[in-house]
Amino acid sequence: MLRDITLGQYYQTDSILHRMDCRVKLVATLVYIISLFLVDNIWGFAVAAVFLAVCIRLSKVPFSFMVKGMKSIAFLMLFAVVFNLFLTPGKPVVAFWKLRITDAGIRMAVQMAVRLTLLIIGSSLMTLTTTPNHLTDGMESLLKPLKKLKVPVHEVAMMTSIALRFIPILMEETDKIMKAQIARGADFESGNLIQKARAMVPLLVPLFIAAFRRANDLAMAMEARCYRGGEGRTKMKPLVYRRNDYIAYGVLAFYLAAVLAVGRFMPI
Amino acid sequence: MSLKLEHVSYMYGSDTTLAVRALCDINLEIPDGQFVGLIGHTGSGKSTLVQHLNGLLAPTQGTVTYNGRDIWGKDFPKKELRSKVGLVFQYPEHQLFEVDVFSDVCFGPKNLGLPKEEVEARAMRALKLVGFPEEYYKQSPFELSGGQKRRVAIAGVLAMQPEILVLDEPTAGLDPRGRDEILGQIAHLKEETGISVVLVSHSMEDVANYVERIIVMSGGRILFDDAPRKVFGHVRELEEVGLAAPCVTYILHRLREKGYLVDTGATTVLEARDTILEALRKKRGEERHRC
Repeated sequence: MLRDITLGQYYQTDSILHRMDCRVKLVATLVYIISLFLVDNIWGFAVAAVFLAVCIRLSKVPFSFMVKGMKSIAFLMLFAVVFNLFLTPGKPVVAFWKLRITDAGIRMAVQMAVRLTLLIIGSSLMTLTTTPNHLTDGMESLLKPLKKLKVPVHEVAMMTSIALRFIPILMEETDKIMKAQIARGADFESGNLIQKARAMVPLLVPLFIAAFRRANDLAMAMEARCYRGGEGRTKMKPLVYRRNDYIAYGVLAFYLAAVLAVGRFMPI
Repeated sequence: MSLKLEHVSYMYGSDTTLAVRALCDINLEIPDGQFVGLIGHTGSGKSTLVQHLNGLLAPTQGTVTYNGRDIWGKDFPKKELRSKVGLVFQYPEHQLFEVDVFSDVCFGPKNLGLPKEEVEARAMRALKLVGFPEEYYKQSPFELSGGQKRRVAIAGVLAMQPEILVLDEPTAGLDPRGRDEILGQIAHLKEETGISVVLVSHSMEDVANYVERIIVMSGGRILFDDAPRKVFGHVRELEEVGLAAPCVTYILHRLREKGYLVDTGATTVLEARDTILEALRKKRGEERHRC
């Protein structure tokens, strides 16, 4: 019943994007997001959309998976569009009652919608092609310079990957406890808000205890294998840039230049 | 009073591309007052099957009927079914949550909407049935030993006074003594109350001493459903589905097939070693004769 929740879902397949170094993908996603905010004309968005379409094609991930991610932000999108539509000052196109839709408003709303769509699909493409472990590895490696500023980069990366790993485990646990309590006549669905909140106690108490038990076990298992933080720790599979990754950086630089050029020299 | 499964099949994730068939055409009836053992290797579908017995999972195909009524029919009282078919999950102590043992056992009957006196009377009776010492009734369930926790959890389901008690691996994670105690207690409460008990396990030894009927599952199907004596007659088939046969038996059978005259009845590693060495000696002797 709880399995349907998707969070940073990884799509298992073999593609050029899956094999790419996770650092490249992280940087690319960041650059892509920034580029979306530098662009403000049709041609710029067209370049961004084409670039994304090519990436999706290369990733071999079915397009329906990207759309799934869109559903979760449908409300936010609506919000942004409506606000931009009505609250941007400019020359009114349509006006009724106290509401005015201006030409600048329409432009802003459309831009916002396109920008958000590309942004969400772009970042979900990264999580779909990168395992959570690679993601945190890449983050740790990219943030390494911050260590000089006493930022606990390794610890944060480790905590993130453990948290991500625990999501499906706790989900399964919740499912089990829920079923066990339903078998004892518990009712999680009917009743008003207060009754529903009270009905969660038999679920939450065992869930918390389970989480602590697992955390304890994990800490013990890590210590038993001599884990003592990131100091002097080496990797079994160190991140190495290969030829394809350098090419990808090149493509990325080309894309960024193209977007900026198009934004500068093409009108509208 | 009986629970009947007809042509029940179940698929996990039937709406995705990763569908897994967990049950396949299960036909089963659990009559009143029977002690049934449900045995199967890990992944044979035991746990999935028991969740069909009280309507936690809906069969993808087939029907489950209780006293002749389809439990997935419209306006069938599911909550009542769940009190009549008590299901104790694996590691049931993981579902304890109340401040003391007694309140936790009261949770089930309270959910049935019974008056307070009746709830407490039932909880008291259930705790007695599982042999839980009275001086600990007001203790936090989290301070008990593993075996005692499990008794409390079983009592929590018993307090709903089910007609069929289903226990999924009630001995998992207990030491041999705790295991014997729990199984003895279950047999005892079966005697006392006369309810049907379904004991799920992956170990033949666990159930063989207690039950009057054994259902063997493999790959989501029922392989055997008979009296223990008859089921044990099919040693070969049981071995094939990974039950109740020690590793050496497999090795010896394999050697026998290859033409070594080993005694396949050997059960311990030492016996196996002796019979293998002897077979090798004989074989070498024969070869020398041939020369």
